Amino acid sequence: MAAKVGSTGGGAVTGGPKGGGGPLLAWACLQLALGTMLALWGEQVPALLFLCGAIPLLLLSAWNRVRPPTGNPRLLARVSVPVVVLALATATAALGATAGLWLFLIGAELGVFALVWLIREIVAERRTVGG
Amino acid sequence: MAGLASLDHKATAAKVAIAATFFFLLSGLLALTMRAELAQPGLQLVSTHTYDELFTMHGSGMIYLFLTPAALGLGLYLVPLQIGASQIAGPRLALYGFWVYLCGGLAMYSGFLTNNGAGDAAWTGTIPLSNSSGTPGVGMDLWVIGVALATLGSLLIAITILLTILRLRAPGMTMLRMPVFSWTMLATTFMVVASFPVLIVAMGLLLAERHLGGVFTGATGSIAYQHLFWFYGHPVVYVMFFPFVGAVGESIATFSRKRFFGYRALVLSLLLFTSLSMAVWGHHMFITGAVKNQYYSLTSTLLALPAGIEYLDLIGTMVGGSLVFRAPMLFALGFVLQFLIGGLTGIVVASPPLDYHVNGSYFIVAHFHYTLFAGSLFGLMAGLHFWFPKMTGAMLRERLAKASFWVLVAGANLTFFPMFFLGYDGMPRRVADYEPRLGDLNLLSSIGAGVIAIGVVMVLVNIVVSLRRREPAGNDPWGEGQTLEWWTTSPPPATNFTSLPEITSYAPLLDLRQAAAAESASDLSRHIWRQRSEARGVER
Amino acid sequence: MLAAFRGYSPDVASTRSDFSSVWSLYLWLGVGIAVFIFAFVGFALVRYRARPGRSPSQRDEHNTLEIGVALLLVAIIALLVFVTFRTEAKEDDPTAADAVKIHVVAFQWGWRFSYPGQGVSVVGNSNHPPNFAVPVGRPVDFSLTSSDVIHAMWIPEQRFKKDAIPGKTNRFVMEFDAGGHEAGQRILRTAAHPDGLRRLGPLRREL
Repeated sequence: MAAKVGSTGGGAVTGGPKGGGGPLLAWACLQLALGTMLALWGEQVPALLFLCGAIPLLLLSAWNRVRPPTGNPRLLARVSVPVVVLALATATAALGATAGLWLFLIGAELGVFALVWLIREIVAERRTVGG
Repeated sequence: MAGLASLDHKATAAKVAIAATFFFLLSGLLALTMRAELAQPGLQLVSTHTYDELFTMHGSGMIYLFLTPAALGLGLYLVPLQIGASQIAGPRLALYGFWVYLCGGLAMYSGFLTNNGAGDAAWTGTIPLSNSSGTPGVGMDLWVIGVALATLGSLLIAITILLTILRLRAPGMTMLRMPVFSWTMLATTFMVVASFPVLIVAMGLLLAERHLGGVFTGATGSIAYQHLFWFYGHPVVYVMFFPFVGAVGESIATFSRKRFFGYRALVLSLLLFTSLSMAVWGHHMFITGAVKNQYYSLTSTLLALPAGIEYLDLIGTMVGGSLVFRAPMLFALGFVLQFLIGGLTGIVVASPPLDYHVNGSYFIVAHFHYTLFAGSLFGLMAGLHFWFPKMTGAMLRERLAKASFWVLVAGANLTFFPMFFLGYDGMPRRVADYEPRLGDLNLLSSIGAGVIAIGVVMVLVNIVVSLRRREPAGNDPWGEGQTLEWWTTSPPPATNFTSLPEITSYAPLLDLRQAAAAESASDLSRHIWRQRSEARGVER
Repeated sequence: MLAAFRGYSPDVASTRSDFSSVWSLYLWLGVGIAVFIFAFVGFALVRYRARPGRSPSQRDEHNTLEIGVALLLVAIIALLVFVTFRTEAKEDDPTAADAVKIHVVAFQWGWRFSYPGQGVSVVGNSNHPPNFAVPVGRPVDFSLTSSDVIHAMWIPEQRFKKDAIPGKTNRFVMEFDAGGHEAGQRILRTAAHPDGLRRLGPLRREL
C-alpha cells in the first residue's frame, strides 16, 4: 500500500505558505529588461532568447497563483518501474536518430507500453487516495 | 529492483551522485592523459586526433555529466529537507530525469568504441567543425544525442526542485525564511529552465544538420549556432556555481556559529546575478566580430556587483563569529579564496581588448579551472563533508579530510596557476604540442595534476573507509546545525520528518537554541534574584 | 613568464599598446582586490577563532555597509567599462588611411597571405609555415576569412586575435613597431628566429 505523507508537527496537516511566485516574477521582469536592452543595442534576433526564461516563469507563477497547493496529504508511492522503462525507451528512441529507424521504432514501442503502464499506475494511485 | 525504481528523492539523488562521481573519475582520467602528453613538448603519447577526443570528452564529461548533475543532485537531496517537505514534487519526473541523464552519459562515452572515436569538436560542438564534413562518424552523433539526453535529465530534475520550493514549503516557511542553500538552488533552477531547453533544441538542430544538412549554412549559420549554444553555455557555468556557493554559505555560517550575514542582500544579489548571467553569453564570441561587444562587455563586467555583495556576505558571516576549523570549513575557505582568482580573471576577460589576446589560450583554461575546480569543486567538497553525516549516518574521518584538503589546494594551484602565464605568453588551448620554451611551466602543471589525483583518491578512500567502519552520526553531528535538515535523523526516514519545529527565520534551529539559552539565562537570573531577595529577607 | 608584468611603451599606436594600457588597470586592480581580501580573510580567521568564553555576535546585517560596498563596486565597474569601451572602439574600427591591405585565408592546416595591391601571395602549412612581411609604422588592413572550419589568427606579440570564419570576412587594422631590418620594411620573423616562424605558421587552430 502506498504510504501517506508524514504529518508535520502533531496535528492536522495544513498547507504551506501559498505564495512563492514573487521571485519568479522578479526574475522574469529582469529578463525582459535585459532583452529589451539588447534589442535596443542592435541585436533584435538574439534578444528573443530572453523570452525563453521570462515566459515559462510567468506561466508558472500564474499557475501557482491560480491553483495554489491544497496541502492535502499527498499519496506517495515507493517505487515506479514504468518510469524507468520509459526513460530507457526515450534513450533508445533518441539513439535511433543515428542507428536507424529500426531502433527508433523499438524505443517508441517500448515507450508507448511504458507510458500506458505508467498512466495505469498513477490512476490506480489516485483512486486509492480518493477511496 | 525497488532500489533502481525508488521514488524517494534521497534515493534518486544518491543515484545521481554515484553516476556523477563515475563520470568525474572517467573525465579525470582523460585529463591526466592530457597532462601526461603535455608534460613535455612533442607528441609522445597520443595522436592529435586522439587528443581532440580527450579534451572534448574531458570538458563534456565534467560539464554535462559531472558538475551540473552533481549540483542539481545536491539540491534534489537537500531542498525538501531544508524547507520541511516530506518529498520532492514530481518524484517520477526526477527518477525519469536521472535515468535519461545516465543513458545520455553512457551514449556520449560509448563514442570511444566507434571507428572514428568519440566526439572531438570540443564541448561546444561549434559549426562547421561539428557537421558531417567537419567531423564525420557515429561517435560525434552519439555525443550530440548524449548531450541532449543528459541535459534533458538535468532539466527535469531542476523542474522538480523548483516545483518543490514553490509548493511544498512547510507551514511558516515563507520565501524569506528559506535557508541560504535553498535560495541558491531556486536561483539555479531559474537559469536551468531558461537555458537548458535551448541547448536541447540546438542539439536537435545539430543532429539534423549532420544528417540532412541545410540547417546552419554559411557564416550566419555558424554564428547562429554559437548564439544558441552559448545562451546555454554561459548560464550552465553558473548552474555549476550557485549551489556550491550555497553549500559554502551554510558551512561558514555553521562553523562561525552565526547566522548568515546579509540574507536579504544575498537574495537580491542572487536574483540579479542569475538574471545577468543570462545576458552575457556574447562574451564567448567577442573575437568573432559578429556580436555587439559593448553590450556583452557591460553585462559581463556588471557581474562584479552581485558577486562582490556575495563575498561581503560570506566574509561578514565570519566576522564576529566563533570560528571552528572542521573539514567543511576548510573547503569552504578554499572556495572563497580560490574562486576569487577565477572571478577576478573573469572580469579581465569581460573586456574585449583583453579578451582579444587571451581568448582561446591557456589563460582562459586557467580562468575557468579556477572557478570550476578550485572554486566549485571545493564548494562541492565543503557540501560533501558537511552533509555526508546527515545523508549516511556516518562521520567522515576528520584528519584524512583535512589532509586531502591541503593536497587538493596544492594540486589545484600547482596545476592551474602556471596556465595564466602560459596563455599570456602565447600557448593556445586544445593543442597537443607547443613551443619548447613553454616546457617548464607545462611540466609544473602536469605534476600538479598528479597531486590533484592523489587528493581525489584520498577523498574517495575517506568515503569508503567511513562507510565501512562507521562512526555513527546523530541528528546534529556538528552540534551547531541551523537549518531543518539537522532536526531529523541521520539519515532521514523515508518521509523526511516525523515532527517539525516552529520556523521563525532562515536558521530555525539556531533560533531555537538561542531562545532556549535566553530562557535558561532568564531562569538563572530569576533564580539568582530569588536567592538574593531571600538572603535580604533573612537579613531584614 | 614575466611578460605579463613588463611595461611596454611603443612609439606607434598598436593593438599591443591598446592592450597594455587596459591590462595594467585590470591587473593591478585585480591584484589589489585579491591581496585585500586574502589579508582580510586571514585576519578574520585569526581574530575570530573560537576561544573559550567568547560567544559570537549575532549581527546579521549592516545596510550601510552593504550599500557602501555596492556603490564602490558600481564605481569600479564604471571605470572599467569606460576604459574598455574607449579602447575597444579604437581596436574595432576597421578604417585606416594609407593602409597596406593583406588578405588572409585560413585553412586546415595553414595560411595564405595575399597582397592585392602588389599581386603577391604567400602560402604555407604546418610543415612549411608561411612568413609574411608587414611595413613598419604604417597601418596594415587585414581581411581575414577561412575556407573550411573556424580558425583564428593570433599574433601574441601584438596582443590581438580575430576569428577566421568561413563565409565572413573580418577586417581589422594593426600597426607594427620598428625592428631594425631592411630599410622601409620589416620581415616579422626571419630565419634567425625559428619559433617565431612557427608562431606565424598555423598560428592557431580554432574550433
